[in-house]
Amino acid sequence: MIDSLNITPSGDSIIIINSINPITLEDLSSIADKIKSSNMPEIEDTIILKDHIGLIYNPYIATYNKLKSKIISSIARNPKRISNKKNRIWEIPICYHTDLANDINNVSKKLDMDTKEFIRIHNKSSYMVDMIGFLPGFLYLGGLNNLISLPRKKTPRKVIPKGSIGIANNQTGIYNIESPGGWNIIGRTPYELFDKNSDPPIKIQQGDTINFYEIDINEFNRISNL
Amino acid sequence: MNRIKFLRPGLYTSIQDMKRIGYKKYGIPNSGPMDEYSHILSNWLVDNSYSSETLEINYFGPRIKFNFNTTIGICGANFDAKINDKRIQLNRSIKVKTGDILDIGVCLNGGRVYLSFSAKMKLKKSFNSYSTYEKINIGGINGKKISKNDTINFKKSEEIIKKKIPDSFQRKYQEVSNIRVIKGVNYNIISKNSLKKLDNEFNVSSGSDRMGIRLNGNKLKVSDKKSIESTVVSKGTIQLPPAGDPIILMSDSQSTGGYPIIGNIARVDISKVSQIKPESKLKFTFISLEESESLINYEKRKFKSQLGIDFST
Repeated sequence: MIDSLNITPSGDSIIIINSINPITLEDLSSIADKIKSSNMPEIEDTIILKDHIGLIYNPYIATYNKLKSKIISSIARNPKRISNKKNRIWEIPICYHTDLANDINNVSKKLDMDTKEFIRIHNKSSYMVDMIGFLPGFLYLGGLNNLISLPRKKTPRKVIPKGSIGIANNQTGIYNIESPGGWNIIGRTPYELFDKNSDPPIKIQQGDTINFYEIDINEFNRISNL
Repeated sequence: MNRIKFLRPGLYTSIQDMKRIGYKKYGIPNSGPMDEYSHILSNWLVDNSYSSETLEINYFGPRIKFNFNTTIGICGANFDAKINDKRIQLNRSIKVKTGDILDIGVCLNGGRVYLSFSAKMKLKKSFNSYSTYEKINIGGINGKKISKNDTINFKKSEEIIKKKIPDSFQRKYQEVSNIRVIKGVNYNIISKNSLKKLDNEFNVSSGSDRMGIRLNGNKLKVSDKKSIESTVVSKGTIQLPPAGDPIILMSDSQSTGGYPIIGNIARVDISKVSQIKPESKLKFTFISLEESESLINYEKRKFKSQLGIDFST
């Protein structure tokens, strides 16, 4: 595996690890685990993206070349961990009522389908957590059906309420805190998935599976008021 | 109780420690001081560890009443500061007594100053850091910038010997700041015309904040319009959004971004960038990774040999 990996710098504080051959999220996680198990104090953050790993490091502790060789030996030396933390499946309620899904009618119109059909397609797929980021706890979910893929809105909204679920390009995503944002909002979950008072603040992890199940507005309000 | 009270909060004053490490994978940024260099020196003035919490003060400072005897350090840009209406000199440790009023007024050049105390603040950490991050209200006092009448309680104040920042560590603030940059991962898609404009002056926009310093006045274009895959960004990353005005990401920036990365500010110059006032100018000089690393090494040795600060621990 090490031969197909490509390690390059980005500035003086980031290292990018990617692969010459196509690589899965699972393989990237396994590489990240190996690096982690070497407990290198200079590595501050490890972020796994679609086809590469980004390591943010402290250049006052190690130079790029020193860190690169440490990384190579940690990947070569450490055994591949057969993942015992099975990626988990989460069932998340979603309400598609237009009061909570400002863009759903517009989205269906643009896709030239009826809203019911849109909901059926969005609800049927299983999604994988591609990444958490951009905002605290924002979940990027891969696996959106091509039939309902749409670009981001041209003008972002100033306020998107917590729990809002949107679509953009080939992903659906969950806003777990209130924020401005440009995704087309097609639903909302009453679940509070991000808690700044717990560590980690979100239990859902990269690589986990998310299945949505539809609830009506009464059920949404009932859960929200619990 | 050892306490200070804010009679005036200042334009934007917040509690910051070195940074919040290890939570970017949940979308929580590092936060921490915009100008780490001055933050470190300010802590040195009062014998704190370099990563300790300080008050970051921006453009127009607070008015603070002390109800205990302690020593403070003020370091960073040049501000008009007074204790009990008597002007004080910055970049040195200063004894304050019960009843004293510290007034940090307008900034004369640069933009930020760091105030340290020879006593630990009594605060709760969030995700292992005191740094204020207002988007989700964590760190600092209830996760917010300082407001009028806020108070901070302190533990016992340590007796220390007064110190002064050596001249060799004091920075001059210039009309046009020269900032060293390493070529970014998407440097090669900058258009031919824009490459020629890279060493022109940029203006710092007043729309800058703790997330990013926005530049304008010298638009750049990319030759390849196809979208870039999102990748990891950090403090000092220079992104080029489609409108052509670069953004330098700073302390509260997100962890990934999909805009082309045209460069990364050399680590030792990031703190200089943070002190450039809106409407002032900067110029980029491109250097290699090796050059940037030797600048880091030089700075590291200088802090160790002259101030006894060891960044490798």
